[in-house]
Amino acid sequence: MKNKQAVTRRKFLAGTAALGAGASLSLPAWAQKKSDKTGVVRVWGEPGPYGGVAVDAMNEWAKKFAPGLIFKLETLSWDGVYVKLMTDLAAKNPAHCISVESPIAYQLMADLLLEPLDDVVQKIGKNRLVDGVKWEYWGAWKGKQYVLPAHHQATQMVVRMDVVKELGLGDPDKWSWDDMRNAAKTISEKKNDMAGISLALGRNLCTDYHFASLLHSAGGRMFDAANKFQVVFDSPETVEALDYVKSLQPYMPKGAVSYSFLQVVDSIVTGRAAISFYWGRPYGRAAEENKPVFDALQSFNHPRHPKTGRRTNWNDFQGWCIPRPNNQYVEEVKAALVYYQTSPEWLVRYCHSLMPNVSPVYKDVLNDPKLYTHPFFQTKRETIMNYYVNSLAHSSSTGNELLKGVNPLAGIVHGRSILAQTVQKVVVDGWKSADAAKWGAKELEQVRKDNLRLLGGVV
Amino acid sequence: MSSSNDWKRADNRIGVLFIVPFAVAALVFMVYPVAEAVRLAFFEHNPLRPEASHFVGLENFRTIYDDPLFWQSFRQAAVWTAWSILLQTVIGVALALLLHLPLRGISVFRGLLLFPYIVPTVVIALVLQWMLDGEIGVVNWSLKSAGLIDENIYWLATPGMAMGSTIALNVWKYTPFVTICVLARLQTIPLELYDAAKVDGAGALRRFFDITLPQLAEVLTVVVIFRTIWTFNKFEEIYLLTKGGPGTSTFNLAIYSFEQSVANLKMGVGAATGVVMMFLLFVGSLIYMRVFRFAEEDTP
Repeated sequence: MKNKQAVTRRKFLAGTAALGAGASLSLPAWAQKKSDKTGVVRVWGEPGPYGGVAVDAMNEWAKKFAPGLIFKLETLSWDGVYVKLMTDLAAKNPAHCISVESPIAYQLMADLLLEPLDDVVQKIGKNRLVDGVKWEYWGAWKGKQYVLPAHHQATQMVVRMDVVKELGLGDPDKWSWDDMRNAAKTISEKKNDMAGISLALGRNLCTDYHFASLLHSAGGRMFDAANKFQVVFDSPETVEALDYVKSLQPYMPKGAVSYSFLQVVDSIVTGRAAISFYWGRPYGRAAEENKPVFDALQSFNHPRHPKTGRRTNWNDFQGWCIPRPNNQYVEEVKAALVYYQTSPEWLVRYCHSLMPNVSPVYKDVLNDPKLYTHPFFQTKRETIMNYYVNSLAHSSSTGNELLKGVNPLAGIVHGRSILAQTVQKVVVDGWKSADAAKWGAKELEQVRKDNLRLLGGVV
Repeated sequence: MSSSNDWKRADNRIGVLFIVPFAVAALVFMVYPVAEAVRLAFFEHNPLRPEASHFVGLENFRTIYDDPLFWQSFRQAAVWTAWSILLQTVIGVALALLLHLPLRGISVFRGLLLFPYIVPTVVIALVLQWMLDGEIGVVNWSLKSAGLIDENIYWLATPGMAMGSTIALNVWKYTPFVTICVLARLQTIPLELYDAAKVDGAGALRRFFDITLPQLAEVLTVVVIFRTIWTFNKFEEIYLLTKGGPGTSTFNLAIYSFEQSVANLKMGVGAATGVVMMFLLFVGSLIYMRVFRFAEEDTP
């Protein structure tokens, strides 16, 4: 009986496969431009079914208006995105359309490697964005929009509520940093084979993101976008965030020093950790692989910083962009993007493909009753709405720190894993947090110095 | 006049024709990349902005000289190479001696020996990543089941263990190369030498040190030089297994060069690292050959 009720992503998607039909009901004429071009339009996307849904939508456009074209998805692993992107761009052979996280998109747009998309924004509808976000969050630079929203995707504090209740650890929604650490400590001490908390501490992008959310909660930043992008990383806030990570380490799995995205999800889904900061992905996997864990999971905004009160998360603000070099399909990709982005059916399906990992960015999609037909809404509505809506008031990223201004240097910072290396200086090499913060600041200063051209006209 | 006559001979022309493809391939795939790397070492070159490339003299070498991570990578490369070569040589020679025994079915084992050498590194590294996983790996599970350990060992997540694991992978994969080379040489040592030694009362150990080892000296010299060059330059095994981590505890110079070139987009610094590696290996090989007097003609 339980099995019959189990939600599986594939079953659900199969049931909604017909949703895309009739997608072009209100299709702008612009997206109906015919093209007689032939070939394969390469699309890069991160791992996950949603990239496939978007490409299906683009292929539906191609079938109608450009029968000689096939859109083909190339999936890039998260930690391989930067290397793949840079080597292919260097070889002047990037994909024709890219779905990428905002910090990397900012770098590309400031380097003038992307096609401006203001015309596409006009066709899609400038006033459609959900409350609490701006177009620039996805990628705008010097008055031009270079990136279209694919989704917003915030981390939340994922909690095993069965464990929290069993140990009487209170309401996670009210936790401060200290409360969360105490909860992690209690869980580690009282639950066999379960770590209190699982965060990434490896030399990778996930560690960058986890640490950035703590840094921003503490009020710290890497660069000051309002002051010529001066490096402000060597600060008491950075030291505090590093000290906090160090203080959490005893309650993490010992292998956390090499954890990245996959290992953190594994630790949650397999029940080896009780708390984490993560996007919505573990829900999809737990629903399919470990139903009791799925039932017990709940997500909240991050714990409050004791002094600032901030609950800052990491939000990807992932978007679609069109690389300029050697791209013979610019117009076709634009038309296909308009087609898919003006179809509520495809956009709902996109969100449904991995609930609640990819949040809707347009009001009409967020308000579409079809969005709420997903079975996860029956038991996880609060969690889903935290990811979809309540996270936005606390969103930040390295590319737009505390939403105080777009910073095109962040992609390079991630390419070099500077934040993760700073964390590792503390948790692996045993450095003092203050020394690690100084080291990180020096590296960031070098990034700034090497890439002043990206800040041209601003600095 | 004579060279003109030589060229007119059909077999000479055919000989040159046969050499041309190799010469072209060598120029395109060996000489040009090396020359380009040396050239790049003196330029600041961002592959996303090739038009801004410019000559910087020795600046890239100064950058790596001032970078503590370069020196850490150098030390770790030396440790990784030294342990890998030592273990490969000792185990390789031991295995060759075993496989040289005239036992029934020994040829099967000689064939099996090639297995690690022919499996792609990426397959081995990924399998090993799972096997050595600190929490769900089969290695820890086996050791725990056998009662040999109580706590999980984090093979790839603690600096010392990670270095040991990468060395173990390298030793497992490349020991067969040493064994095959040594075995081939063992099979050419005249048996009369051993017979004469036995008559003189030499025991097995004495025969090994006085006959076998000196006879193996040349092949071991060659093997050690090649293995040292290849191991010092190795990239994929460490990168696939640990990506140079945890921290930078398994960085070697190849990974350092990769990081500079691809992650930092400083192709010049990456190339300068490559040039330094090439220089170090060249000098090291010369010294090694001089010390072991390799390739010296026997004087009458």
